[in-house]
Amino acid sequence: MDLLLQGLGNVFQPEVILLLIGGVIIGIIIGALPGLTATMGVALFLPVTFGMDAVTGVLLLIGVYFGSIYGGSIAAILLNTPGTPASAATALDGHAMTKQGKAGKALGYAAIASGVGGLISVLMLILIAPQLAGVALNFSAPEMFGLALFGLSIISSVSGGSVLKGLIAGVFGILISTIGMDPMTSYPRFTYDQLSLLNGFSFIPVMIGLFAVSEALVIMEGEIGGGDKIKKIIANYVLPKWNELKRLWFSMIRSGFIGTIIGIIPGAGADIAAFVSYNEGKRFLKKEEKETYGKGNPKGIVSAEAANNGVTGGAMIPLLTLGIPGDAVAAILLGALVVQGIQPGPQLFATSGELVYTLFAGMIIANILMVIFGISGIRLFVKILLVPKKMLAPLILILSTIGAYAISNNIFDVFTMLVAGIIGYFMKKYGFPASPIVLALILGPMAESEFRRSLVMSEGSYSIFLERPIALGFIIIAVLSLILPLVWGKLKKNKKVNAA
Amino acid sequence: MKKYKFSLILLTMFVVLTACGGNDSAKSGSSDTGKGSNFPSKPVELIVPYAAGGGTDTVARSFADMAKNDLGQSIAVVNMEGGGGAVGMQNGAKAKADGYKVSMVTVELLTLPHSGLAQFSHTDFKPIALLNEDSGAITVKADAPWNTLEEFIAATKEKKLKVGNSGTGAIWHLAAAAFEKETGAQFNHIPFEGAAPAVTALLGGHVDAVSVSPAEVVTQVQAGELKVLGVMAEERVESLPDVPTLKESGIDLSIGTWRGLAVPKDTPDDVVKILEESFGKTAQSDEFKEQIKKMNLGYRYDNGEGFTKLLEEQDQLFANLIPSLKLN
Repeated sequence: MDLLLQGLGNVFQPEVILLLIGGVIIGIIIGALPGLTATMGVALFLPVTFGMDAVTGVLLLIGVYFGSIYGGSIAAILLNTPGTPASAATALDGHAMTKQGKAGKALGYAAIASGVGGLISVLMLILIAPQLAGVALNFSAPEMFGLALFGLSIISSVSGGSVLKGLIAGVFGILISTIGMDPMTSYPRFTYDQLSLLNGFSFIPVMIGLFAVSEALVIMEGEIGGGDKIKKIIANYVLPKWNELKRLWFSMIRSGFIGTIIGIIPGAGADIAAFVSYNEGKRFLKKEEKETYGKGNPKGIVSAEAANNGVTGGAMIPLLTLGIPGDAVAAILLGALVVQGIQPGPQLFATSGELVYTLFAGMIIANILMVIFGISGIRLFVKILLVPKKMLAPLILILSTIGAYAISNNIFDVFTMLVAGIIGYFMKKYGFPASPIVLALILGPMAESEFRRSLVMSEGSYSIFLERPIALGFIIIAVLSLILPLVWGKLKKNKKVNAA
Repeated sequence: MKKYKFSLILLTMFVVLTACGGNDSAKSGSSDTGKGSNFPSKPVELIVPYAAGGGTDTVARSFADMAKNDLGQSIAVVNMEGGGGAVGMQNGAKAKADGYKVSMVTVELLTLPHSGLAQFSHTDFKPIALLNEDSGAITVKADAPWNTLEEFIAATKEKKLKVGNSGTGAIWHLAAAAFEKETGAQFNHIPFEGAAPAVTALLGGHVDAVSVSPAEVVTQVQAGELKVLGVMAEERVESLPDVPTLKESGIDLSIGTWRGLAVPKDTPDDVVKILEESFGKTAQSDEFKEQIKKMNLGYRYDNGEGFTKLLEEQDQLFANLIPSLKLN
């Protein structure tokens, strides 16, 4: 505790707190722009930290990291163009609320949920990091396969109206994800000698295309067709009221825990956490509430947002305690620490206790700053809805193009984005949801490579999935969540028949 | 009519974008040939074939940061990831040969072509400077029953051991495969997406050993979680002075990854000379050596000539090794 107070003192040094504030603000902006992800934001600022002292530099990166995970929700809620894959789930209920004229409230929920989720994960990091770190080590290929399979079973709950269309979109996503080098043998599949396809279609350009470009096309079509076809969205900034928030605490806290645990698991990040938690959010609802889930239910927003920010602290747990980075951002943070001569790992807490606790204190402050800027920025954010549609659509297209190109400076990605945008446009026209594609693109390759890696480990024996309790548990849940709704439906039907 | 207008917009978008794409090639044909004396007269681009934030990127960015003083021009790092390094190196090889586009090349420059995954070759580049080299190593859990390479090799002959690497055909897989060939050990190769997940799997006891570089396990070794049985380098590694090399154990193998700078092969000699002198100065500075050490990487500098020799030697090694693995 003393160490934490001392850490707080260190954070409140003028230059440290100013950089932290700057980091959070820049992060929010980066997150909000389509295509600029948390990973990219942190990577961009990495060289800047070389000249700083350890704490200041790492806290700047942490500010950018936390801010950008939250920032993605702003574009997702207002424009239905999630800036980062982590906020694709937020768009489902968030944008629905915007269409109902409750943009201010939706943004408020997102900011507060992000803060709560982030704080829960930092508290868990401070209190029980060493104990939780073991979780990371228990996860190997079979467990990851189980998790991926379970994640894929979520497709039905992010499908919106038609589960069948959702499944079609999901299968389409999985098919696309088979393009590129075979994860086990590195054999190029469906690449047609295109170097740019060796790693498959880049995920971010596909996502920007499906969400942002298609949205721009829909807006353009509306404008050409007379302008008034799309209902004017009221740009209000009515904030959430206290008693409205009261109903959401449980969802936020539960989602914060889900996010933290998924953050600890190496290889599973904020995107998976948001979708899993969104799905769990549905499970806990009353029947009448289930109807509104996906159509502007605040619980949908907070489930996704608290979980994706919950990942931030979770990802730091294996990084700081074991020295292993669980995801791309953690890998960059590891690099930043190592460059400063700090070696994360089991000895870190003993050798640089003060530094660790200063980082913890900085993370707490970063989360609080995020909520403050998130809420006070709402007035500003909603103004984007006042931008005339004929300017908004080109603006989205320009930002999307820059974002897609910036991923790896490859024009091929821009074409990928455009084609995905046109596909996304027709999907919107015919009522196919885009989220299942995103989910399939994240989880399909993971399921495939982990499944095959498991079999390589067991030298071909399928019993590896049955012998390991965590893996088996996930597989059972996945199978049940696919079968139960069908059985349930049958039973209900039978009952009705019997009653009649 | 409406539909027509709409497709017109789509069409316009494509045309504009195609024009943007064409711009690059159009520009590279125009003026501005970096002729010796006034080179460099504008900022130099450094192409990194991997994602921002990774090990290669960090080396490139810190080098670029230090080299701008010696070069007298700023150096912009451009990440072109994809194809396990193929996209960036391909672009670097095909870039205009005026010295303004320098590429960070890695051992994949040699391994990708032999795996049939890229069409370029190391002769498409003129090497400028070698910056770093990291060998492979055999690392096991600290409580594993084997304490020497001999014990480890003997154990693999009784029962295949699971050895984690950073991806099929990637350098640590090749290192493990070369080790098998050289010693008669029998491995069950488990590919992971990069070195970090492989090390995590070793910590969790899901694999028996990893073949990644000492830099990637040094933290856990210092913490007493893992132990290194041998390094695949010519000389002992600075961070692990007690660990023998394979050569000391009578195994004739040294294999690993390296990073260096290169320009397209047609770059004029006077430009190459300027770059070689300037980058050589930065690469041999104490500041850069210190930075490499801080990142737990192995420092090895060589000039263009020495770097070329390394490329030729290793190309031979991989030309023999990779086809014998029958990857595809």
